[in-house]
Amino acid sequence: MTPALSSVPPILPYSELARQRALDDLQILDTPPEERFDRITRLVKELFHVEIAIISLIDHDRQWNKSSAGIDPDQPTEYPRSIAFCDSTIDACGILIVPDARIDPRFRDNIYVTGAPGIRFYAGHALEAHGGERIGALCVFDTQPREFTALEQNLLRDLAFWVQKELNASQELDQAAAVQRGLLPKKLVSLPGFEVAGACSPARAVGGDFYDWYPVGEGAAFTLADVMGKGVGAAIIAATVRAVLRAGSRLAAVADVAGAAAATLEPDLDEAGSFVTLFHARLDMDTGVIRYVDAGHGLSLVVHANGTTERLTSLRLPVGAGDDSPWEEQQVVLAPGSTLISVSDGVLDLFDGTLASLAAVDRLVRQASTAQAVVDSLMSLAGVSAPDDVTVIVVRREMEG
Amino acid sequence: MQFTVTDQGDGIAVVHIAGRLNMVTAPRLREVVAASVAAGQNRVAVDLSDVDFIDSSGLGALIGGLKTARQAGGDLRIAAPNEQVRLVLQLTNMERVLTAYPAASDAFHG
Repeated sequence: MTPALSSVPPILPYSELARQRALDDLQILDTPPEERFDRITRLVKELFHVEIAIISLIDHDRQWNKSSAGIDPDQPTEYPRSIAFCDSTIDACGILIVPDARIDPRFRDNIYVTGAPGIRFYAGHALEAHGGERIGALCVFDTQPREFTALEQNLLRDLAFWVQKELNASQELDQAAAVQRGLLPKKLVSLPGFEVAGACSPARAVGGDFYDWYPVGEGAAFTLADVMGKGVGAAIIAATVRAVLRAGSRLAAVADVAGAAAATLEPDLDEAGSFVTLFHARLDMDTGVIRYVDAGHGLSLVVHANGTTERLTSLRLPVGAGDDSPWEEQQVVLAPGSTLISVSDGVLDLFDGTLASLAAVDRLVRQASTAQAVVDSLMSLAGVSAPDDVTVIVVRREMEG
Repeated sequence: MQFTVTDQGDGIAVVHIAGRLNMVTAPRLREVVAASVAAGQNRVAVDLSDVDFIDSSGLGALIGGLKTARQAGGDLRIAAPNEQVRLVLQLTNMERVLTAYPAASDAFHG
């Protein structure tokens, strides 16, 4: 069947395709209202003494408002693009001022001018995505004609930049979070006789905690580290710490791995005014021997099958805190039925915030039947709103026979 | 968060902090210590008696201040940390280099 001519999609210029793609990439269309945008439209409305302020996005053939102030909540949040003032703004060179729409040949026949709400005044500044694509506008409307001074235009431009930063920031953070999740280890396949599980729940989109594991020789290496601070800055350093430790996997001794990593990291940590607490261990899967180093982390337990629990000693200051003593490795044996668990300090806040929390972690390990169950129960306590990054790694040696 | 710096003479400054020493307030502590050291008071006693909470960024500021003071030939010592601050120092082993004194006035006159 030949489609009717009117249903054939128009051939769009490249700039429109790029514009639409940039807007789609932000993944913001049809999302619920957000206070970070609503506070801007409220402020804009008051600042310019206008009836309406809007953050609009131009999507295919419609204008969709991410936020508005001065419009009844039961009014539609989208309009046909063909009659949208803001579509003209993204075509204009960044800013569009219409002092009186009734005498402006471009708008005097617009239904919002001839009919309700009777728009007379419009001022809009384009909003750009990362590549400069004009995806929408920050705009104000009034039913009284008025001038818009150069000073007001500058203000509107600054406020539009603020909106732009908010629009793009959330996307950057989401991307950073995805990259950071990608750096977490996948299921460890070849460690017969052992179960391994881990999880990391950053307090923000990204964080300074991480865990890692990878096969080394006849066993595996495990890391749990906590970079000072929270957020993106800590996450960048965390990715570096992970990389330099992995680079050491060819070295035979964990003390050498950690020593080489620390020597690489220290100048950077010094520059950033940061430090890292670190637990790094290697397991020999034939013997269950764990050799480890601990630099100011101090939150690792071996929950022995015989009923005792051993807290693994931390010998050093955190990396970056100026400790130049030689790295010494320590050793513990994971007997069948025993569990190694290492947690970040955020886990203490899930209980009473003191070291007594480790006793609660111990009980939780003894009650759980698998490594994954231990991780799951701690993560369910962390929920979605833990104040600090919460990270845990569990290595459980199965009972023999 | 309030910072008060008192010149004790003899190259000693007492920095009194009240409130939470965290990601928000830690940079201010770094600045205050750096300014004291730059002004020749390279023996800095940080009075923590009115600090209710410290996080890793706060600890980072103490470590940074310690480095700054030592590089200038001085030292940074802490006084009167509460239980939560002590726990953070103990877990990270930082209590070994950030010795806690009962009062700021004792820190350099033991």
